[in-house]
Amino acid sequence: MSLSGKAAIAGIGATEFSKDSGRSELRLAAEACLAAITDAGLTPADVDGLVTFTADASAEIAVQRELGIPSLGFFSRVDYGGGAACGTVAHAAMAVATGQADVVVCYRAFNERSGHRFGQANKGGGAGSLGMEFSWHLPFGFATPAAWVAMQARRYLHEYGATSEDLGRVAVAMRRHAATNPKAWFHGRPITLEEHQASRWIVEPLHLLDCCQESDGGQAIVVTSAERARDLPNRPVLIAGAAQGTGPDQMMMFSYYSGDLASLPAMGRVGERLWRQSGLGPDDVQTAILYDHFTPFVLMQLEELGFCGRGEAKDFLKDGGIELGGRLPLNPHGGQLGEAYIHGMNGIAEGVRQVRGTAANQVPDVTNVLVTAGTGVPTSGLVLTAG
Amino acid sequence: MTGPVRDEPAAREGSTLHEELTALAERLAALGERPAPPCPDAVNAPMIRHWTQALGDTSGAWADVAPPAMIQVWSMPGPVAKKAGSIADDPLRLLDENGYTGVVATNCDQTYDRYVKVGERLRSTMRFGGVAGPKRTAMGEGYFVTWFQSWYGEDGERVAEMLFRVLKFKPRQRAAGGGKASAAKPGRYPLRPTIGLDTRFFWDGVNDGELRIQSCADCGALRHPPGPMCPACHSTNRTYRTASGRGVVHSFVVHHHPPVPGRTPPYVVAVVELEEGVRILGNVIGCEPSEVEVDLPVRVAFQRMDDDLVLPQWTPANAPEPEPAEEPEADADGLRIELTPTFVIASALATRDFTPVHHDIELARAQGAKDIFVNILTSIGLVQRYALETVPGAVLESVRVRLGVPAYAGDALTLTGERAADGTLRVRGAVGLGDHLTATVTFKEDAQ
Repeated sequence: MSLSGKAAIAGIGATEFSKDSGRSELRLAAEACLAAITDAGLTPADVDGLVTFTADASAEIAVQRELGIPSLGFFSRVDYGGGAACGTVAHAAMAVATGQADVVVCYRAFNERSGHRFGQANKGGGAGSLGMEFSWHLPFGFATPAAWVAMQARRYLHEYGATSEDLGRVAVAMRRHAATNPKAWFHGRPITLEEHQASRWIVEPLHLLDCCQESDGGQAIVVTSAERARDLPNRPVLIAGAAQGTGPDQMMMFSYYSGDLASLPAMGRVGERLWRQSGLGPDDVQTAILYDHFTPFVLMQLEELGFCGRGEAKDFLKDGGIELGGRLPLNPHGGQLGEAYIHGMNGIAEGVRQVRGTAANQVPDVTNVLVTAGTGVPTSGLVLTAG
Repeated sequence: MTGPVRDEPAAREGSTLHEELTALAERLAALGERPAPPCPDAVNAPMIRHWTQALGDTSGAWADVAPPAMIQVWSMPGPVAKKAGSIADDPLRLLDENGYTGVVATNCDQTYDRYVKVGERLRSTMRFGGVAGPKRTAMGEGYFVTWFQSWYGEDGERVAEMLFRVLKFKPRQRAAGGGKASAAKPGRYPLRPTIGLDTRFFWDGVNDGELRIQSCADCGALRHPPGPMCPACHSTNRTYRTASGRGVVHSFVVHHHPPVPGRTPPYVVAVVELEEGVRILGNVIGCEPSEVEVDLPVRVAFQRMDDDLVLPQWTPANAPEPEPAEEPEADADGLRIELTPTFVIASALATRDFTPVHHDIELARAQGAKDIFVNILTSIGLVQRYALETVPGAVLESVRVRLGVPAYAGDALTLTGERAADGTLRVRGAVGLGDHLTATVTFKEDAQ
């Protein structure tokens, strides 16, 4: 039995993306969920499942209360930071496909700029196994996501002769895409490669402009059966593939102790599973939404997912491969570097818009889109297809 | 996960305030140098003696000249004198009236043209620097206001100049229950590992100067970081091997931003591949960050962080062996000042700072402080004391201080430092809440 094609995304909804929402995270979650339910042509009373990130501050039952959902038959949380994003939809799709739920809303909402900022120095991981992982790292002042990614980036640059400018090309492309997306924080504000190179060091080899922004906002996604989606107003966006994955010796951002630092095996595993489930391959998608919290992992993802060979991402970028009109228009909404950092959930919404044909920077003739979640951590991905 | 983003310009909702402030700043800047409040007393031995005693400076070096960090003391008004106006009063008041009621000093940079002699009469001037903002800061939205004060000797030559910068901010409304994490113990390195049943052998080893790598007691597989079950044969019988301490840098980063408590950037973090075939993470110390590269041979160096914690660190393999008596950071213990209420009050008064938050606990609390706290003139004085104890016989050229968290009574202030390649001394003053100050001290060339 395969999950492919059993479930569909019927609705998407978001708050505005800002630096200071001025509202509680629960309110952002409720607003985003309501917008997505409305977009699907449903009401909260139709919803019987909720899924969010382990990291989310708003419990499923709190969102249930705000929306007046009579009762839930399915609720679940997905762990590992931004690696959870596509996993929420995977859990929802499994629930719908197995009859555990009819309509599941996946949500993520936070004040990640005006409240708790992930980019600041981490304080520790508690006394459990995660705390033990952090204990091999935090005491050395190795305390921020940028630093954790930079460790792999340095090795990648070393092994393949890539440069900071190669990383910069990702940032420039994302800001160019965001410049023409009115919902993007960096709407109308493109950057040049020179500006990228001149931006200050955060953690060498990462410049400021290699790091995505920090945002306040909420995003929700409504999942239901393919069958039911066909009776709803929007063009159904089928979930052709949904997968989670870890790599060998996996840690939470610290998988440095065996294997190749210049790779993302967890994403490789997700990619293999997605292509197998969907019966599609890299040549079959017209656009991709790759999680871009930091530029280096975009290059590694292109390689892990089979869009180019090992070490070849820099050439793919130099050839304009990820630009609108390129071989693989990447993150047409501007990604998290350009639109907003909503922990990857805004990327799923962009995937849906591209399949529907309603995106601000619409890629022509989209039938299949690949979407990925946070990398460096256990991760997840989706293949979305026109229904 | 995300990266840090530079301070965004905040929305300019009060654009009329912004315009008014900009115009006022331009007007003040155009005034240039203006006479400042008088220096009521000549440079004199009793005030120097009070100052050195309050700050614990027992060097005896100040018989003929005054400690340079005392410069502002000579122009401080007394408690009875009507508080003399500062050139920055108008913009500060304007910000106050517009809801920017919070104030913290962020920078104090002093440059010493020469030391002043006992008996000399000084004169001082002020000039306005500028305003910058609105900026989003950790405290809330605010404006930075900068001004300068200069002091002149009887010969009319300038003897010292000071830059002073404050942040005037709109205090954030903190969510209920959103209080800060509890303060660490004073003088204690804040970044501590959690140590458990499966990892204690490692940290015990580090304390004994051994780098221990877990090995499976049945199949012999080596493993780092350690864990309770051998992933190869599933045995839970564990032992360890003491590593040679030699390896190469497999990958590394140089941390610049954001600030990490207990750390002075830039610093290097590396994944080191050991001869034994396992990898381990640590800092590369004992060389400049620019000297670190992939495949650099390194050897282990045990660095004592405080009374209870030693970290296994790395240093270039060709670096000279440190003297046994000398830790890689020679003064890791630094200068520790117990901030008793008496110290806080005596030093505030010896620096002629009579602001109540430095001696009256009720008034300090009424202003949101948890206790009385050390005044800035004292902080600078302590940086001077530390610098001259670290580099004996040197002559100070400048002290640039970036201020951090308050140094409250009941806490302890620990000053540590590192001499950079260009001869400057980078100083860090840590209290339980984090960094009270970071400073850069430069010395006069000819006196080194």
